[in-house]
Amino acid sequence: MTDDAPEPDPRDIATAGEYVLGTLPLAEREAFQRRILNEPALVAEVARWETHFDPIAAEVRPVSPPAKVWNNLERRLFPERTAPAGSVRFWQWLSLGSVCASIALLALLWLGQPGPETERNLWVSDMVSADSTVRLTALYDETDGEMRISVAGQPPAQGRDFELWLIQGDRAPISLGVMPHQGQAAMPIPEDLRILVANATLAITDEPAGGAPGGVATGPIVAQAEMRRI
Amino acid sequence: MTSETEKLADLLGRVALRDRAAFQQLYRRASPQLFGIGLRILKDRAEAEDVLQEVFVKIWHNADRYAPQVASPLAWMNAMMRNLAIDTLRRRKPGGGDLDVAELLADDSPGPEDQALMRSEGRRIEACLTELEPARAEAVRLAYVEGESYLELAERFGAPLNTIRSWLRRSLIKLRECLTR
Repeated sequence: MTDDAPEPDPRDIATAGEYVLGTLPLAEREAFQRRILNEPALVAEVARWETHFDPIAAEVRPVSPPAKVWNNLERRLFPERTAPAGSVRFWQWLSLGSVCASIALLALLWLGQPGPETERNLWVSDMVSADSTVRLTALYDETDGEMRISVAGQPPAQGRDFELWLIQGDRAPISLGVMPHQGQAAMPIPEDLRILVANATLAITDEPAGGAPGGVATGPIVAQAEMRRI
Repeated sequence: MTSETEKLADLLGRVALRDRAAFQQLYRRASPQLFGIGLRILKDRAEAEDVLQEVFVKIWHNADRYAPQVASPLAWMNAMMRNLAIDTLRRRKPGGGDLDVAELLADDSPGPEDQALMRSEGRRIEACLTELEPARAEAVRLAYVEGESYLELAERFGAPLNTIRSWLRRSLIKLRECLTR
């Protein structure tokens, strides 16, 4: 992907290398970080150096961090789970009825259950295209019939969309809908299809914008993977 | 892809979906490597712990930005750890980083997994480093692994700072030539 970009100035190659090594003095490091924001060629250059040097980082001897790091992380990221009075505070906070609160509610719904952990039956399908440029991960929760998906990598070409299909045994593939080009989405699986999800295969195809006409896949399969219970 | 790489990629995909159990598993698998990298650069436990925490906060929020076509999951996380550790190191007031790392360095021979890795993915960078003069290859390694600054390298190699910097930059250009050959 980045290999098609024109080779940058050798001075920038060296500076990006110094940046990745970490030898740039602070002021230059900060100036370089500001440049990265506006120069995609530099981002690619930094990524190249990071990839080239990474095997050396992998040689560094691992050291187990103390338990407090994980505890702090949990407290910071999931306060409603770890704070004793968390859920009460949460509802008081919500009753303010502010826009902020409704955004927070959305975020919390996305994060999952604020209350006690319920038993969940999760299935996952991790679809990666053969050339590794597209990845779609689907997580299906049997208990509420919701499928959450995350799409990363190269978006489809202009005027095209990725469409997700459920393939169960010898049945014709069933469309689960057109996927966003990047990021996440949640979609409820219709009740009559839920029984088909376990052990199914999910596949993404490349279709005209808006999805396959007539609900029958026309494009090539970009990636597919079986659903696995987790 | 090795099975560990696949496993980490799978966990990252699930973390992007806000799967906390996957996040915890990812932390268990990746945190020792990341903490090891942070300690070597910072030589300060408290700072390395803080940076490790920041990196996992970023992973939780940005897992959906992980692009498998650019880097392996561990390389993506390693780069984040090194980046934040070096930001911390360069911004540090004098006096930090006095951890006695003798114990960290005591057993520095690569384990069997590391050796396997060096044989495969690491072969190119290792081979290209051997094309540099040994002292220059050593300086590149010291900067990358130990976070040494030009000032420290100048003291270590007994050369003026500007000289060290210009030969390190030339070494980088040579390395790049070799790596893309």
